[in-house]
Amino acid sequence: MNWRIVWTLVRKDTKLFFRNRFFAFVSVLGLFAYIGIYYLLPGSVDETIKIGLIADQIPPLFEDLQEEGLELMLLDSEAELEQRLLNGDITVGYGLPDDLMAGLLSGSKQQIKVYFSYDFPEELKDAYIILFRELVFMMTGQELNVQADEVLLGQDMAGLQIPPRKRMLPLMAVFILMIETMGLSSLISAEVEEGTLTALFTTPMRARELFVGKGAAGAGMAFFQAVVMIAATGGLRREPVLILTALLLGSLLVTGMGFLMASGSRDLMSVMGWGILAIVVLALPSFSVLFPGLFTGWIKAIPSYYLVDTVHKVINFGASWGEVGINLLALLGLSLAFLLLGIVTLQRRYR
Amino acid sequence: MNPRRVGSLFWKELAHGSKTFMFIFALLVPIVVTLVVRLLLGTIFSGKPRLGITDLGESQVLALAREIDSLVTRQFSSDSELRLAVESGAVDMGLVLPAGFDQQLRKNEPVEVNAYLWGESLLKNRIILGSTIVFLLREVSGIEAPVEVVPITVGAGQTLSWEERLFPLLVMVTIVVGGTMVPATSLVEEKQKRTMRALITTPATVGEVYLAKGLTGILLSTFVGVLVLLINQAFGARPSLLILTVILAAAFSATLGLLLGTLTSDINSLFTIIKGLGLLIYAPAIVYMFPQIPEWVSRIFPTYYLLAPIIKISQGGASLSDVWVELAILVALIVLMVIIVGWLGGRQAQNAE
Repeated sequence: MNWRIVWTLVRKDTKLFFRNRFFAFVSVLGLFAYIGIYYLLPGSVDETIKIGLIADQIPPLFEDLQEEGLELMLLDSEAELEQRLLNGDITVGYGLPDDLMAGLLSGSKQQIKVYFSYDFPEELKDAYIILFRELVFMMTGQELNVQADEVLLGQDMAGLQIPPRKRMLPLMAVFILMIETMGLSSLISAEVEEGTLTALFTTPMRARELFVGKGAAGAGMAFFQAVVMIAATGGLRREPVLILTALLLGSLLVTGMGFLMASGSRDLMSVMGWGILAIVVLALPSFSVLFPGLFTGWIKAIPSYYLVDTVHKVINFGASWGEVGINLLALLGLSLAFLLLGIVTLQRRYR
Repeated sequence: MNPRRVGSLFWKELAHGSKTFMFIFALLVPIVVTLVVRLLLGTIFSGKPRLGITDLGESQVLALAREIDSLVTRQFSSDSELRLAVESGAVDMGLVLPAGFDQQLRKNEPVEVNAYLWGESLLKNRIILGSTIVFLLREVSGIEAPVEVVPITVGAGQTLSWEERLFPLLVMVTIVVGGTMVPATSLVEEKQKRTMRALITTPATVGEVYLAKGLTGILLSTFVGVLVLLINQAFGARPSLLILTVILAAAFSATLGLLLGTLTSDINSLFTIIKGLGLLIYAPAIVYMFPQIPEWVSRIFPTYYLLAPIIKISQGGASLSDVWVELAILVALIVLMVIIVGWLGGRQAQNAE
């Protein structure tokens, strides 16, 4: 292996990449956009129900529920409640009659007003009406003869919910890596279209130097941008070496895919076609982080799952090497397999 | 202008263009996006807590739960299947109802149920699900609530669901991707492969070539636009007026595509320009998503006049008298674009000669 030739190739490809205005523009813009979007997304999760109560005092039972996700606000008048609702300070308002408890104990049916803002989703109103009915049932002490054997599955995240921006990070990492892969494929495609690939093979350079050079350029650019994005969003605070290893393996994986895409493409438009298809498929596992339960076990058949799962577990749950070791091994195996497959396919097509 | 030549060029565009990536992309993307948006807004983005039920007997609880709009209820055939669904977060809470559950409940006999709770479920979903499950059990046991609840709506204003807010963007993407991208890429590819020069050395004129490419964009854009309106059940009360408006919108998009194709010499530059113009093109649709932004802001952008009439007719039931001003401006814009494209295209042809 002649490393001088490899280095020359890497430098040439990096220059060519930035000369391709489309991919260079998209890459830089994309990087800033991803970081910007991250900071625009909510950094916390509001998981409580804020209730405004028109009453003399908060019923004792309601107070007990404050630790379980209800936030109660005692209000003086209907006008104040309406104002609070319109300002978005409370989710829902309940108007309790002064003699509620006495009325309930006497057995007469009490009338309760439930206030919603005009923009409250119609289909969710039932939930808050039912919630209040059940609170009143609890106040009357009427309990059902049902024993629930409750099992909590997974880590209890009550009060520690992962904000949407943190859930978006794996998706952003995969997008950045894949956009870079489209850049690598376009470079190879351009070499084929312009006939320079054949010219390169007539030099002393051997095929393996060409692929190592191309691979290093592609993986390097993908890795660098993914690291910048993850670092700028605070993703390297926990287990930085582990995150960097996962991103490096991810870069190798998408480089192998880039070779495959280039071998199956005729021109830049075909690269785009294959590239968009690959991005869609590889992004799917990220959606299972964004919307848990969206997919079943088949999602593990998509290679990017092991990258997404590792980044998610390390950044959001503080997972260690031991906890994501299997993922890293799978990612390493898949990256090597795709690199080999990509190189062989590309070599067979253009030699 | 020879209609026969335009016809044969148009068929050539359809025959060859329909196999290109951009044509398939323009055809499939709006349909896929429509279906995905409808699926996501109906379930994941609905904000509703999700309840899973495994009924080992013949309980009424499942049927009653399905009647509650504020829940997403799913049935699972076994305890293990339900447990897996809760573990993966497919549902927030799972309930296993034993055989003879309803009878025991009605007789007020002690009854045990298994409940699974997903660790990542939000506190508010846990509260709502907890109270709703108890409500369902009371319904089955026939216990009457001691209160009568009167819902009151406070304030007045325009309320738009996310489905309604995203609809204009979807229409815009549909019309613009098909109408603009297809003629633009086709024109640029002709230039890159140097087939444009070959074409205009035949009896076909530049105008005829441009018209054929524009017609392809209009046909594709109209077809997909109508299809997306149908899928979204947004045809309104005046379908003929709506189709006419979609055709005009597609025509404007096609002239924009021809202009971009004329101004750029390679695919890379074309995509760079489209990326840069994206925000300006889609701005009116983005304004629709946020009702707080005054409507006059979107009127600044030319694409407002292709989007507004479609939305007003399909969602607001507008008639011709309601949208004639926007349509007249749209026609004027199309005429203006045709003049500019004709002038630029003519100049390029002269330079090529």
